Amino acid sequence: MAQNPDARGASHDLSVQLGPLRLKNPVMVASGTFGYGEEYADFLDLTALGAVVVKGISLAPRPGNPPPRLVETPAGMINAIGLENVGVDAFLQSKLPYLRDRQVPVIVNIFGNLLEEYAELAARLEGVPGIVALEINISCPNVKSGGMIFGTEPSMAARVVEAVRRATTLPLITKLTPNVTHIGEIAKAAVGAGSDMLSCINTVAAMAVDIFSRRPKLANVFGGLSGPAIKPIALRCTYEVLQAVDCPVIGIGGIANATDALEFLLLGARAVQVGTANFVHPAVTREIIEGMRRFLEVERLGGVEEYIGSLNRECLFPFAEIACEMTDLP
Amino acid sequence: MQKFLEEGRVLEQQEVARQTHRLRLEAPRMAGAARAGQFFMLQVREGMDPLLRRPFSFHRILPEEGIVEVLYRVVGKGTWWLSRCAPGTPLSLLGPLGNGFELPPIAAGPVVVVAGGIGIAPLQELIQQLLAKGGVGRPADIHLFYGARTGAEQLPENLLEDLGISVYRSTDDGSLGYGGFVTDLLRRVVQEKNLQPSQLYACGPLAMQYHVARWALEHKVPSQLSLESLMACGIGACLGCALPAAQADASSQDHYLHVCKDGPIFGAESIQWHKIQTHGAPPTIFLYS
Repeated sequence: MAQNPDARGASHDLSVQLGPLRLKNPVMVASGTFGYGEEYADFLDLTALGAVVVKGISLAPRPGNPPPRLVETPAGMINAIGLENVGVDAFLQSKLPYLRDRQVPVIVNIFGNLLEEYAELAARLEGVPGIVALEINISCPNVKSGGMIFGTEPSMAARVVEAVRRATTLPLITKLTPNVTHIGEIAKAAVGAGSDMLSCINTVAAMAVDIFSRRPKLANVFGGLSGPAIKPIALRCTYEVLQAVDCPVIGIGGIANATDALEFLLLGARAVQVGTANFVHPAVTREIIEGMRRFLEVERLGGVEEYIGSLNRECLFPFAEIACEMTDLP
Repeated sequence: MQKFLEEGRVLEQQEVARQTHRLRLEAPRMAGAARAGQFFMLQVREGMDPLLRRPFSFHRILPEEGIVEVLYRVVGKGTWWLSRCAPGTPLSLLGPLGNGFELPPIAAGPVVVVAGGIGIAPLQELIQQLLAKGGVGRPADIHLFYGARTGAEQLPENLLEDLGISVYRSTDDGSLGYGGFVTDLLRRVVQEKNLQPSQLYACGPLAMQYHVARWALEHKVPSQLSLESLMACGIGACLGCALPAAQADASSQDHYLHVCKDGPIFGAESIQWHKIQTHGAPPTIFLYS
């Protein structure tokens, strides 16, 4: 006779402790894929999300790159938006209140061309109700100065994090780029400089060309690859980062369903961010949260915390596909 | 206006002109909510390749029958898969999106509609709306200028001339109607007939839109041009569908409009036409198997 998974009194608790933050579940949305939240309100209850990471904000508004800005690739897309955003003033005045009024935890992704700009932004966001953390963007591949330049050299990464650390008491997440030789070194530098948490990965530097027009498909020539195509890269990076540092890590890269999300948690990531999949299925995060809950039920786990970091590195289970069918996950 | 997801179903696919397919979709909620000139994002296939939804304008909106129609040309991976969807195939729709056409006020006078190739797609529904409720005294006061590379690629007379509207056809190869660009035909006819259009609507390839926009600005005719772009989301999140916005003065910094949330219908005056870059014309041979 089948046992009721609830027989043990398990509540299938999805809440996680992420450094100083308590999240109702580990599912966030990634910066640049969810606007300022309101864009998705027709499709899902925003309060169901662990947190919303808003589109990267700079001190002054940025127009972004000339089009074409994106191109589709197998199981992915390359974008070169160029951090188009409304600037911090308009963000605080006209964008943040929507999420704050609905009590959605907001993480603000911040970006600057200079160290001083990062610091000034952080200072401006200090003490603003509704903001629970800052995510320092040192990993955008699509801008000429700042961005990824800060994220590919450990000492530069440390200087940005230090500058932001001095300017704010908010919890800090540093978002790492995969476009480096040793991501663990950058991770160590960021944590050493005061980053409470890390998120990885940002997009993978990429390119596409058109054989007829004989031109690059992006006006910016290079862009950042995202989507299911990069998930294995993201898993490898997350694993390396978790081995290098001892702080909470948020897994990002190609997550499109609950199985993908659970893979990052299995490695030890304490939360995930869903990005490109939001474009295709605006309610995908709801399905991921529901799928995680179902997984806990089937696996008879009281809470997701029990599952995080439970990877068994020694043994390769030969019947993984059968197990997947049994849990009815995609 | 609320946007939503709807699971639609393919009812019928038909090749109505060369390389031009008409897809009938059962999607009652979408059919009840959509307006002419709006668009929706269609997932042409489950799975990860192609990954993104494709934007399509509404070719026909039939609320009573619960049907929306799409007119499309096979130009890439997405439309190739779409063309292989048999009746009964479920497809996910996300919409309705964008601003849509504004119909002229009652008795505003003749309107000019310019279509280039597959650009006829959203204009068919517009013409239906103009006939049904809007602004034009007689059907013949709707002047449709319709160009394509060759006659075989144009929609047949029963879909256009038979509505009683004034249709002027042109083809690049001279196989049907005026031989030459549709914008040249537009200039000629408007001059010969001394037309005083109250409104101009257009959809077509960028080069055509550019000339239509110039014509509208020269003649001070209010214009509504349906523009397109690659886009990932359709709902204002990815910011991929940027078009360079017209500027107040030459010294100001470039900034961008977005086809999905500011359009897809734009006035000729709102775009910096010469700064638009595209991936180029669709390939003449199609390398996908």
